[in-house]
Amino acid sequence: MTEAQTNPADSTGRARFWNYARPVLLRLLYGLVSLIFITLITFIADEIAPGDAATIRAGDKATAAQVQALRVEMGLTRPWPIRYVEFIGNAARLDFGYSTQGPRRPIKEALLRALPVTMSIAVISISIAAIFGVLLGMMAAIRENKLTDRLVLSVSTLGVTIPNYVLLPILVLIFSPIYLDWLPTSYEIPERQVAPGIFYIIIPVIVLSLRPMATLTRLMRASMVDTLKQEFVRLAVAKGVSTRRLNWSHCFRNALIPVLTAMGTSFGYLLTGSFVVESAYLIPGIGKTAIEAITQRDTPMILATTTVTGFLFIAVNLIVDIMLPLIDPRIRESQI
Amino acid sequence: MKKLKGLSPLFWFGVAYLVLLVVFAIVGPWFRHPYDVGVAKPFLKPSALYWLGTDEIGRDIFARIAYGARTSLTIGLVVQSIAVTIGIIVGIVSVYSPKWISIPVQRFTDGMFAFPDLLLAIMIVGIFQMGIGPVIIGLSFTAWPPMARLIKNQVATLKDREFVIAARAMGAKTPYLVVKHILPHLWGVIFAVMMVDVAATILAESTLSFLGIGIQPPEPSWGQMIAVGNTNKNSEPLMLLWPCIALSLTIFALNFVGDGLRAIVDPKKNQAI
Repeated sequence: MTEAQTNPADSTGRARFWNYARPVLLRLLYGLVSLIFITLITFIADEIAPGDAATIRAGDKATAAQVQALRVEMGLTRPWPIRYVEFIGNAARLDFGYSTQGPRRPIKEALLRALPVTMSIAVISISIAAIFGVLLGMMAAIRENKLTDRLVLSVSTLGVTIPNYVLLPILVLIFSPIYLDWLPTSYEIPERQVAPGIFYIIIPVIVLSLRPMATLTRLMRASMVDTLKQEFVRLAVAKGVSTRRLNWSHCFRNALIPVLTAMGTSFGYLLTGSFVVESAYLIPGIGKTAIEAITQRDTPMILATTTVTGFLFIAVNLIVDIMLPLIDPRIRESQI
Repeated sequence: MKKLKGLSPLFWFGVAYLVLLVVFAIVGPWFRHPYDVGVAKPFLKPSALYWLGTDEIGRDIFARIAYGARTSLTIGLVVQSIAVTIGIIVGIVSVYSPKWISIPVQRFTDGMFAFPDLLLAIMIVGIFQMGIGPVIIGLSFTAWPPMARLIKNQVATLKDREFVIAARAMGAKTPYLVVKHILPHLWGVIFAVMMVDVAATILAESTLSFLGIGIQPPEPSWGQMIAVGNTNKNSEPLMLLWPCIALSLTIFALNFVGDGLRAIVDPKKNQAI
């Protein structure tokens, strides 16, 4: 890290590597610190809050002695900092212990079942959002202040402001057997359907992709409008570059950079959005698991889902950070 | 006053709606039916007596929406006031204090951005077992970092302006400088951004209530009414529609007003982002 600082002019491979790696490592460090911070808060909040996992597990009719016995059995009698450090150590090995609810199964199993569901829907949604957002944004920017632009802008404003728990029930209602009868009203009916078909994820994907799509559209538009006003564009026009080539090879990559950064954040919104969508559409993913864990006060499960969601968020932002210098040589050079 | 003429009709729509909403939030729960007891049969259609009909246990939906407005607005304003207070303190500290304080403070603020805010709120509220207090704590916890960053950037630019340097040269101490020369320039921006952030807070609060971990029944909140409407939507679509409309219009209105105010305060930034 210090090589780059002491010898900024040094262009040996090692210095270059550090120029590239330093921001990424910093981001990783931030991510890990905030992950520890978040789990710590969750942990402390659970300590302060009245009652604990043992009282919940024991139920209303249990005597104080029974609760205490359960507490000892669950290892809750030890001071919380010790349990917290233990939790971090285990979490690093992906061992989140056992859920306090229902049959004694490792949380890892539940997570491994839920994670692919959430991830596949999230990845499809963010891909759709990115593709359409970028295209719509470009279209609007090229036709700045024309009808198309205004239309795209107003629809995207709607997209940013309408909350997903308003959109989802309304869409479900419209496509339900009562009106159009096109799409299922919830994700899964295990007895009838082994592998849910594409129809089962249409509504969640629409709802989840709308907000990131709107955000990315607006950003892409703003960024493209800026790019189109720059000097090099006028030069290209003067040189006789065709409009299509100008838009796609000269401006597209330039305008994409802020949008890419925002994609990481959008993915975060999408993950929290999936809490709502999964709960309301009964999708057995991480979000639904987390909300159920909260209503049952299933502390190990709450911690596990928080950690996993936070980790995903940080990982995606990290990937974006790694990709940015690959796309923009200026960032590659300026990272000292 | 000249600036006001350039504002879009949407801004005025937003102002009108918000005024109406505040009036209903204040007087609505008084002069309509009580919100927490059944006053009629369940699932009545809208009528002269029950303006928006009644819900699943015969409570007047209008009274509940009005009371929900009171809850939402109160939470939005309280949370944002906390956020602005913390934001001002953190923003000024990270510009004016010595490095050994300001750098950790800035890093901490940056760190708060590295995590999806609603997730944190869900966890805090979830563990403290719901209710208004935990909702306010959870949402305040996640609302201050953007405010702090905004204020820090504003203070950092103002710090180098001539009038501040002049005041400094004339011997003004930092607290005096901040209160008399810097803060007066910030209120406009803070207020405009606060409008939009109140909308975000109301959305977050409704999300929590929708998930069943925010405001608890019988205390009405829009999110919770949407959740109930969602379970009854097949037979009573109107019950779902009312709180959705109230919530969406409020969010729109706050955003329009916030954007309009920002255009007044800072004409350069009057661009869609």
